[in-house]
Amino acid sequence: MDKLKLAVYWASSCGGCDIAIVELGEHLLELAKLADIVFWPCAMDFKYSDVEAMDDRHIDVCLFNGAIRTDEDEHIAHLLRRKSKVLVAFGSCASEGCIPGLGNIKGPDHALARAAFETPTTDNPERVMFAPRYAMPEGDLTLPALTVQLRTLEQVVPIDFTIPGCPPNHEQIWNAITAVVENRLPEAGSLLGVDPRTVCDQCPRTRLGKIQVERFFRPHEILPDPERCLLEQGLVCAGPATHAGCGALCVKAMMPCRGCYGAPDGVLDQGSELLDAIVAGMAGESDAEIRRVVSTIVDPVGTFYRFSLGASLLHALKKSPLESGQRCETQRDGARGEGEHA
Amino acid sequence: MIRSSELDRGFMREVMAIPGGENLIKCWSCGTCAATCLVRRYDPTFNPRLILRKAGMGMRQEVLSSREIWLCSACDACYPRCPQEIHISEVMKAIRTIAIAEGYEAPGPFAEVDTALCSGCAVCTRACPYGAIERQPVLVNGEERMVAQVDHTLCMHCGVCVAACPSGSITLEDYANDELIARMGAGGWLEEGSYQQGEATEPRILAFVCQWSMRSDAEWATLDAMQSDSLRIVNLPCSGRVDPGMILLALSQGADGVLVAGCSEGECHYKRGTYLGRSKVALLDTVLAQMGIQPGRVRFVELGAFDRGALPGLIAEMSAALKQPAVTVA
Repeated sequence: MDKLKLAVYWASSCGGCDIAIVELGEHLLELAKLADIVFWPCAMDFKYSDVEAMDDRHIDVCLFNGAIRTDEDEHIAHLLRRKSKVLVAFGSCASEGCIPGLGNIKGPDHALARAAFETPTTDNPERVMFAPRYAMPEGDLTLPALTVQLRTLEQVVPIDFTIPGCPPNHEQIWNAITAVVENRLPEAGSLLGVDPRTVCDQCPRTRLGKIQVERFFRPHEILPDPERCLLEQGLVCAGPATHAGCGALCVKAMMPCRGCYGAPDGVLDQGSELLDAIVAGMAGESDAEIRRVVSTIVDPVGTFYRFSLGASLLHALKKSPLESGQRCETQRDGARGEGEHA
Repeated sequence: MIRSSELDRGFMREVMAIPGGENLIKCWSCGTCAATCLVRRYDPTFNPRLILRKAGMGMRQEVLSSREIWLCSACDACYPRCPQEIHISEVMKAIRTIAIAEGYEAPGPFAEVDTALCSGCAVCTRACPYGAIERQPVLVNGEERMVAQVDHTLCMHCGVCVAACPSGSITLEDYANDELIARMGAGGWLEEGSYQQGEATEPRILAFVCQWSMRSDAEWATLDAMQSDSLRIVNLPCSGRVDPGMILLALSQGADGVLVAGCSEGECHYKRGTYLGRSKVALLDTVLAQMGIQPGRVRFVELGAFDRGALPGLIAEMSAALKQPAVTVA
């Protein structure tokens, strides 16, 4: 058999997914024996023209990390779909929107205005806005424009598999790669690199099962008991509503699970399941009590949907898929803020 | 006729020997419990006073074999009103314990756990209003794991745990997740376009209705007759069974609004059920507001004993509110 042709791409992401691949450590040497890396812009020198020159379905497996935030991301998603036999949504951004997906709450116009004019470290007296095109004496400089909503890879092109996690655990990445190499792939559409059940299944903490939470805390507000269930101590831990696969890393390090491995199998909407699980442990009987306890949850959307908002029912409720891919207001052609060199 | 020769004088002591049953001797049969009983409002054959009286007299076989001992939903509406301060649901539990030991079976249905899926997260043990679920070591596919186990003596089939379970490992006959979703969308109701999308002439409302909040068959019949393209009714064992994910599913498809009807504070048949239902809707409401989604699309209404026949009016009210032009939330 020919060596596997592997591609890795980053769309709108932090780079953590690429680092997670580097974390394969000595497995990287084995990987080099098993596969030819035909495209990996973060780590090796490739140009888009190299990909465009490939035959369709030339790439065996493409690990696509990052969300679809700009028109460039969308263009490359379509290109890599065409050139790849197997397209994998790699990591939380590509599969469910992740932290950048929270930008969908207020949208990119809000984010651009905040970044350009409002942050404490901004010094922008001329109120110059980030523009997708900028005229210089030497010619126009261009940047990709933001779309109205951030989308997951699957909302733009069909995908074959998903490897969840922010970032995916390196041992799970290796499991997934060996599954590909040994031709042990599950049915299309499945998750790769996960364990059965939820994070609680791997969490070593003890649960009393009876505690009713009087108020919720943010992680910096209390020093939790190191042995006991964090949820029972009033920390919003996403473990019960999160797919197992990470080995319960955060909870072992005293941080409540943040939910990056996404919804458990068969669960429609991770955030609302977490909401339900949280309410189940709340103390109180009266409406006044409900208001008091609920008010101690700061930023409910960001807490329940920290990683999964982009792929959630809540997101589906907010925007129609048709509108989502358009350029945002601020960066539409002719819109204010189109820069020009003075 | 009751023949004293057929009475089992030892039965009262038998009940009293079980923790919770010791107060049976204090009952003087005043009937305050029957007057306040929430179950009795729907099923007049159920009378807690009679059960305690028969048990006290020693009518052992009649009590143990009766279907009434399984009807008490342990809502404890009678407990604070009993002049003798008898925790009647605890006495009932003691009687049930003896019945189970004698080989009688509770009629159920009960919450059932898929042990292969269960992670033992303990969300259900916290959610259960009756403490009927415990985590226990069980051998699953050759591996011993801590998983949820349901005690049939205590389970009242309210469905609260089914909603709470974040991994979909718990089911309840007729009220499992897939059964409810099937009822919500039966006949393609959810796929039709909503009023907001300009594809319906009236706002389309999905109502989840607690079975106890409807006081009579006539009330159910009225509600049932109202079902149409713009109203879908899905009944629940308790408003605490409502699943926020299902509310979002309906709203993201063809429903303009979702109304959840439960019992008033203090009238819940399942202790905390209505509290959990109200809490979920309240928290979901804050989530929708934060997302800048038009307010008023989710509503919880409480129906008390004096609110007979009020639900159709409340549905009409919600429909009228949903017709108002959307207010933009910054």
